[in-house]
Amino acid sequence: MSSDSDSRRNTFEDVDWDEIDDTARPISHRALAIASAYAIFVGGVAYDVLLAPEGDTIASLGLSLQALDWLYILTLLTLVVFGLVPLSEHRRMTAHYWNQFKKNTAAVVSLGYLLVVFAIGSIGPRVLEKPRVDARNAYQPPVFTSVESWLPVDCVGPVVNDRCHGTWAHPLGTTHEGKDILVSVIYGMEVSMQVGLIAAFITVTIATVVGISAAYFGGWVDTVLMRYVDLQITFPTFFLYLVVVYLYGGSLFSMIVIFGLLGWGSIARIVRSEALQRREETYVLAAKNAGASSSWTIRRHLLPNVSNSVITAATLLIPSLILFEASLAFLGLGDPTVPSWGGLIASGRNDLQYAWWISTIPGVFLFGTILAFNFIGDALRDAFDPRSGGGTT
Amino acid sequence: MAVTHMTEPHTGDDEPLLSVRNLTKHYPITDGLLATDVGRVRAVDGIDLDVYPGETVGIVGESGCGKSTAARSLLRLEEPTAGTVVFDGEDITAFDTSALKRFRRRAQLLFQDSDSSFDPRMNVGDAIAEPLTVQGMRERTRRREIVTDLLDRVGLSAADADRYPHELSGGQQQRVALARALSVNPELLIADEPTAALDVSVQSEILALLDDLHATVGLSILLISHDLGVIRQLCDRVAVMYIGEIVERGSVEDVFTNPQHPYTRALVASIPTTDPRERGTAVELTGDVPSPSNPPSGCRFHTRCPELIQPDGYDFDQRTWRRIMDLRQHLADGTVDIETICHQSVMDHDDDTGPDQRSETEPTAKLREEFALPEQLEDARADSILESALDCLVAGDPGRAADLLATEFATPCEQHAPTLEATDAGQDASCLRHD
Repeated sequence: MSSDSDSRRNTFEDVDWDEIDDTARPISHRALAIASAYAIFVGGVAYDVLLAPEGDTIASLGLSLQALDWLYILTLLTLVVFGLVPLSEHRRMTAHYWNQFKKNTAAVVSLGYLLVVFAIGSIGPRVLEKPRVDARNAYQPPVFTSVESWLPVDCVGPVVNDRCHGTWAHPLGTTHEGKDILVSVIYGMEVSMQVGLIAAFITVTIATVVGISAAYFGGWVDTVLMRYVDLQITFPTFFLYLVVVYLYGGSLFSMIVIFGLLGWGSIARIVRSEALQRREETYVLAAKNAGASSSWTIRRHLLPNVSNSVITAATLLIPSLILFEASLAFLGLGDPTVPSWGGLIASGRNDLQYAWWISTIPGVFLFGTILAFNFIGDALRDAFDPRSGGGTT
Repeated sequence: MAVTHMTEPHTGDDEPLLSVRNLTKHYPITDGLLATDVGRVRAVDGIDLDVYPGETVGIVGESGCGKSTAARSLLRLEEPTAGTVVFDGEDITAFDTSALKRFRRRAQLLFQDSDSSFDPRMNVGDAIAEPLTVQGMRERTRRREIVTDLLDRVGLSAADADRYPHELSGGQQQRVALARALSVNPELLIADEPTAALDVSVQSEILALLDDLHATVGLSILLISHDLGVIRQLCDRVAVMYIGEIVERGSVEDVFTNPQHPYTRALVASIPTTDPRERGTAVELTGDVPSPSNPPSGCRFHTRCPELIQPDGYDFDQRTWRRIMDLRQHLADGTVDIETICHQSVMDHDDDTGPDQRSETEPTAKLREEFALPEQLEDARADSILESALDCLVAGDPGRAADLLATEFATPCEQHAPTLEATDAGQDASCLRHD
């Protein structure tokens, strides 16, 4: 740096702190952007609840958003604001984690798979018609495979040697009701993503708030919150859901909300123990020495430093939620109108002997998705671990 | 560098920048479900200290003597139990949250362990700018410029702002820590063992940097260290701490050349010297450092003091006297294992004589040997009392042995706590020998 610019450069001795004390604090652009994004969201919900005609949100577009859709939007919004934006702001940190992460090839493949599932699951249901019951179209085999011709009522493809061959009209075949399996699987993708992401969002948010409050404030706050967690962990959530199903019928929304609101206990414990350690670090004292408030310390030091364990726990929580939803749907305890993978698998279980594809294909997608989340969880845990070598180089 | 400052700037009319009176920090020891208070760790037990503008004051003492706690509680990073801390005429112990926040700009702490004093997820630039941001400086570009300037001044490059703490060496981290502490332009810097975790070569670089900044920025520095060499190199005045109390206080010149407290004498004698004629003169301190949860009565140094005052009417060799007191200390602590000592004596004599042929005096002789006491004290009366105490001990009554010794060999040092008072040598010292 040349001496010219040196002389003009701002130095710490030039700072007039009294002047800074007197100037009003403008709200940063960032905070403003975040606040307005959430304000728009709240406005949308308020409009839907208070003003929009029954059933329709924006009638002219034929758009009808349900409570579940709003929750999903909130989840994705939060994921962008507190996940993607910080990652893009801290490029070097992100690059470091990515380098660690990509050492695990299975996890990179898994990430690609999940992004594809997420993209197709988000776009597909918007452009594709919901699979319809069409008895004449039942039991069509997937493309490149064949089935004895007596099984389908009306074989769409060519019948060769008494065998009905699959066609591109139904690449993954159809169910006993004649629903296209590819379309059903695509609808199922959205359901699975909604279940996993929304429930994980609810869980992680509550667990983080509770865990950090308990650790940071300690004393009776800690005692009350953690004793409540003890109680909640013993609470039979599954039976509560059964009661709700019995009283009001199965619904994806109530399933997600019940498991989201009652399933955060163990993650809250993880967050608390992590935050307790972090609270004793010298950098928290250093922040106090700089004059930082509790909220600054929590936001800038505790939260980023417990995020590792939170993210890892969440990536391992999501597949278990997806699997749980599939199990409930398989048992017929889900929402019958929701085209969930579990429901699809269940619908094929009587025909497994003749029409293997009905249960198998959604089962493969379910399996792949669970596996992918688990691989990613593993890789993230390794990437975030400072002892993994990368942290010290 | 330090020598060029006035050795005693407080002789002038100027007001002290920092004036600490009776600063006390006790940690309660709690026990059981109801967290009943069962005692307190007297980490800092009433210290008085002044730092004048532009001055460098050192606090020196062994590990665990309360130096770091003193630093943290006088900045109210931990709430002091009692005492006042007046900074530039205002009592900071009475500050509310916003006043305290403003105070943080004027006094900064440089942490001992630079590695853990940085958030691993905050890059160097953000870490240095953290005090600025917290204190309300919103303009990002201005913060960036200040950070660049600071990095430059502490001998790092502007590009280092984008690095993360774990990518830096210990010396670089300490430079960044210094930059962070300086960022709000404080008047007082408290440096808590700034070089303890560093290599010797890096230590001197950091000390030189500190000294340089002290001169150019006009900081007052309170330097906390266990290393007398560091204190001697940088400080104008020094306070010596022992178990939560200041035992000697004065200009570095006076304290180091003519220490007035036996503890300081022992510390100064322990400084390694290159002069072969001065080797081997070190005073060896016996015994363990007492716990601040149960500090010794009277003068806190009496359990280890090599210059303990002798009881009226006696004139022992000072080392013998110290050993008698060590024996008393061991008895009081209950650390005399009579079984082992006597068993050992049986073992030793197994080869030549049987246990029956042992003379009656042998266990006590063994005890004398164990505690390095002479076979016969010069003073006959003292010797007979010592002998009967040892007999009690052998007979399995350590309580009575302790009582016997305590009545006969009582020293004023265990009964009266000395006060920190001016001595003829110029500095203040708290020793009954000066009272």
